[in-house]
Amino acid sequence: MSSSSKLNGWKSALLRHESVLLFLVLLEAFYFNAVGRNFATADNVGNIIRHSTEIGLLALVMMPIILTGGIDLSVGSLLGLCAVLFGKMCQEGGFSPLVAGGITLCIGAAAGGFNATLITWLRLPPLIVTLGTYSLFRGLAEAITKGTATYSKFPQAFLDFGNGALLGLPNQAWILLAVAMGVWLLIHQTTFGRSFRAIGFAPEGARYAGLPVERRVAMAYVLAGIVAALAAILFTARVTQARADAGIGYELLAVTAVVLGGTSIFGGTGTVHGTLLGVVAVAILSNGLSRILSISNVSRELSGMLTGALLVLALASGLLSKYIAAWRARRGVAG
Amino acid sequence: MTAPLLQLTCVTKSFGAVRALKGVSFDLGAGEVHALLGENGAGKSTLIKVITGAHQPDGGTIDINGERVAHLTPAAAHKLGIACIYQQPALFPDLTVAENIALRLEPATAAHRVDWPVRRTRAAELLHRIGAEISPDAEVRSLSMPEQQLVEIACALGAGARIVIMDEPTASLTQKEQHLLFAVVRDLRASGVGVIYISHRLEEIFALADRVTVLRDGESVGTRLVGSSRRELAQTSSAESQSGPTSAATITESELIKLMVGREVSSIFPPAESEPGDVVLSLDNLGCTAGGVKNITLDVRAGEIVGLAGLVGAGRTELARILFGLTPADSGEIILNGQRITITSPQEAVAHGIAYVPEDRRRHGVILEMPIAHNMTMAIHNRLFPGTWLRFGAERNLAQEFIRNLAVKAYGPEAPGGSLSGGNQQKVSLARWLATKPKLLILDEPTQGVDVGAKSEIHKIIRRLAKDGLAVLMISSDLPEVLGMSDRIAVLRGGTIAAMLPGKSDAHAVMAAALGQTEDSR
Repeated sequence: MSSSSKLNGWKSALLRHESVLLFLVLLEAFYFNAVGRNFATADNVGNIIRHSTEIGLLALVMMPIILTGGIDLSVGSLLGLCAVLFGKMCQEGGFSPLVAGGITLCIGAAAGGFNATLITWLRLPPLIVTLGTYSLFRGLAEAITKGTATYSKFPQAFLDFGNGALLGLPNQAWILLAVAMGVWLLIHQTTFGRSFRAIGFAPEGARYAGLPVERRVAMAYVLAGIVAALAAILFTARVTQARADAGIGYELLAVTAVVLGGTSIFGGTGTVHGTLLGVVAVAILSNGLSRILSISNVSRELSGMLTGALLVLALASGLLSKYIAAWRARRGVAG
Repeated sequence: MTAPLLQLTCVTKSFGAVRALKGVSFDLGAGEVHALLGENGAGKSTLIKVITGAHQPDGGTIDINGERVAHLTPAAAHKLGIACIYQQPALFPDLTVAENIALRLEPATAAHRVDWPVRRTRAAELLHRIGAEISPDAEVRSLSMPEQQLVEIACALGAGARIVIMDEPTASLTQKEQHLLFAVVRDLRASGVGVIYISHRLEEIFALADRVTVLRDGESVGTRLVGSSRRELAQTSSAESQSGPTSAATITESELIKLMVGREVSSIFPPAESEPGDVVLSLDNLGCTAGGVKNITLDVRAGEIVGLAGLVGAGRTELARILFGLTPADSGEIILNGQRITITSPQEAVAHGIAYVPEDRRRHGVILEMPIAHNMTMAIHNRLFPGTWLRFGAERNLAQEFIRNLAVKAYGPEAPGGSLSGGNQQKVSLARWLATKPKLLILDEPTQGVDVGAKSEIHKIIRRLAKDGLAVLMISSDLPEVLGMSDRIAVLRGGTIAAMLPGKSDAHAVMAAALGQTEDSR
């Protein structure tokens, strides 16, 4: 086998996962468009974007963490905690949403820093640490609201923002795009992304290469905290109230989107555009199902099952292409 | 004469391209202590693993008690009475001595019932037989290391072992504990057990062994009688043993070292072309408790290659880890270019101009999944990518330059590190650190597991770097390499510098210092 074809094989294997996923997404869209009503309308597209922004944001910052070989299960709970704190500041503290938003982002950063400290200083496994803070953050949110209170006194402008549009796209879409752009640059164009990959492939190897492993890992978790807080504000604006149960289960949907998007759960490989495709696949599936099945309860369960099936399918296809590549390489060497 | 307990004939074993054993013959008689000696990587552990059934030999034959064994598995070896006692006894610390012995010896009964009195009596009996004063009810956790080894020996005896292998049993023992162990070994010998005894300590070999076999580069280079005892066993050994045991203690000690070292330092090594310049690195009484290194005082000059010789565990890699900030020093001083510095992290070491090419290149030296270009620029992110923005063109150019300069065989800068051969991976690892333009380059086993051609290329590169004024600290277990490459040689033993020798010293002197042989006994 010549060296250039080897290179192409390697590259196409990388591309393959994303092309498979793109194909799945298009298939989903065509199917729902064919059987459902009003699927491909501007209204519904806006609706899909609006509803998937928070999960999309969480997935975008989950991706660098998974790239380092870690995981953050606390982002959904942190979203709830930040939403409640933001609501409380607006309603009882008399802060304007802008000031309260700024403080909320700082709180998110601090919460991410807390995760990072436990992971890098005490060298505890990320899964355990964030499983702990998953309960801790949600518990704090419930303690603040005493389990029942909701905060809903927000200025009209804030609520308008949550359901408004700019240049034909929902406001959230622009924020999601901006964050996606930022994360894409971070992962694919800076030394930070390079370091995340190195750490994900070989944490010890990265240390021996003189990379500041702890600082880089900490950065990924702090970023996740900040963006989870941002997602909390957008969530509050969209549903017009802040509740302690905001974002329950979002962490797993975010992980699903990231893994569906081709990022290895063992760290090292993955792309931000793949993650975005993963988000779109999950979002279209749940929206489309709710359109063809009007009974919402059934659609919710079915959506879960089908998302799971999609995940397994996408991963299996990736594995299959790897096997085919390996088989080809063996044959190439033998012949 | 009866058949020997164990007879290996022309045993070969390869791992990939590495020939670990190239036709080794070895025999062990009943009531004999046969010592096995050799440098690191000479093939001792492979040979032991063949005897215990852990490795299947590629060729050659194994006879046990005079019978040919075609396929030796660990279970079969156990049944045939082969037991191995490792440096670190593999006992369950939370169980009692009797329970540990029972785990090895008692067959599982149908009812899984435990007969406690029988179990205890049996343990006590076995322990008594080897003269160990250990209570069967003691938890293994509470026992000292030699006591645990005694329990292992008791297990071996209980299993009816006739061939006992001891792998550096005294490495962690005190003098007194050693004597206890020696007494047990002599008892074993008296009761007709054959003992294969592996040790780096020459004095032990002379105190215990009847014969000694020296392995070098996967070959048996000779079997000799030790001392004057049990001369009758000589007949079973190879023809080489004719040099005979005449006042063995003095002659053989020297001869043993000569046998271990063997090779002449050939002229394949590139000659030194540079005069050492100013002192770059100066260590003053450097120590690190966690790394087991103490009182290291050493200078390395610009343009000089200082070899760090010594046995595995002598503290060579530990010293490198201190200098690279992986396990920071807790005593003494590091002076770099005349300035006293502290190094607490690899980032600090890199900032000071210290580069470390680690021993384990697959785990530490190269990230196998990443392209070699990414690997080569990993330590210079700050310099090559100002403002953290990746410059793919500059990275590619730099990688191609190194690929050309170091003659790295790869299909391009995009090739993943794992697709390269060992020698080329080592060049990538080297390139990563040369890219930092270091003042001090620490090389840890730079040619380990590298084929001959790449090895000589790497040697030329190292020599060229020294000529360009780099201070090089080279750790190596490859004696010809240390002798051929170094301008000066520091021999480490027990975590400290045992001897400072000039370059082109003779191998004998280095090995003697590494083994702890005193000057006057040579």
